[in-house]
Amino acid sequence: MKIQVIYTGRGYQLAELLPDELELDDAAGVGDALRLLAKRLPADVRLPDTCLISVSGQHLGTLAQHNSVRLRDGDELTLIAPVAGG
Amino acid sequence: MPDLTPDELERYSRQIGPGVLSLDGQQRLRCSTALVTRAGGMGGPAALMLAMAGVGRLIVAHGGHLISPDLNRQVLGSEQGLGKPRAAEFAAYLRGMNRFVQVEPLDYEPDDDQALELAARCDVILSCPPTFEERLRLNRAAVITGTPLIDAAQWGMTGTLIVVRPGETACLECVYPAPPPFEELFPVVGAISSATGSLAALEAIKILSQTGRPLWGRMFTYDGYHGRATAVQLQRRPQCPRCGAAARGA
Repeated sequence: MKIQVIYTGRGYQLAELLPDELELDDAAGVGDALRLLAKRLPADVRLPDTCLISVSGQHLGTLAQHNSVRLRDGDELTLIAPVAGG
Repeated sequence: MPDLTPDELERYSRQIGPGVLSLDGQQRLRCSTALVTRAGGMGGPAALMLAMAGVGRLIVAHGGHLISPDLNRQVLGSEQGLGKPRAAEFAAYLRGMNRFVQVEPLDYEPDDDQALELAARCDVILSCPPTFEERLRLNRAAVITGTPLIDAAQWGMTGTLIVVRPGETACLECVYPAPPPFEELFPVVGAISSATGSLAALEAIKILSQTGRPLWGRMFTYDGYHGRATAVQLQRRPQCPRCGAAARGA
């Protein structure tokens, strides 16, 4: 299956290092997708633990602490690094 | 509710009607109090839009003195105001934009007790500070008093809104179990500050006037760098120390 990937929020330039689309096994879950994304990053770059994770608009928690769900073809995995400026 | 005067009806005539506010909605807005803290890049435009829309009372909290780097985004400031206390400058500007609105400036950022006291006497809180510590303080006051909270934040060319209906939707501590890192001199472009602040004001106007569908329980993000908007339906955390079962004594 294929899913879309969106990285946004603080440090949105990181999106340039990540694919817009991921190809995964049909039985893959959100954890599999996140592990694959982490591997695509340079060794000295990692996604922030406080990143909000959602799949097709449904909030799952943060990168450090999230529910695990099975993915479906066409899902949109969104990672939003917290933004605090005022 | 007291009727709007002919002068007020004339002022708000373009925003009363189908698809915008009802007359009752405009009156509800006029009878409402909004707290904006702080009134810088996002809070300034938010306060300005609330004042121009005709909120009854606007409490604007912002400490310190206006400095030059503020002026790439703080629309309530001006060259003439450099070096002067921000709160008084901002309040004067807001009063100058709408004589029908009462503006209460506070030249400090509220501590825990002050935030609680302010939350108890307002109908909506617009949280626009630069630190998570202040955001969580306002979230706490909102949850304890049951006051709707609109959290607006920005970084670079991105802005986010989270709209909290205490007791019913996720609060900020549901979303951020651990505070993200603080960055004092974050990058920011004034255009995103203004856009995010204006959207925060729109949510407040909808909530106060009971118009349309507020973004209750959602996080809206506009990533201006990539030209992309996303909305996430936030989930409450049963173990949230602020609004979860334990906090409610359930």
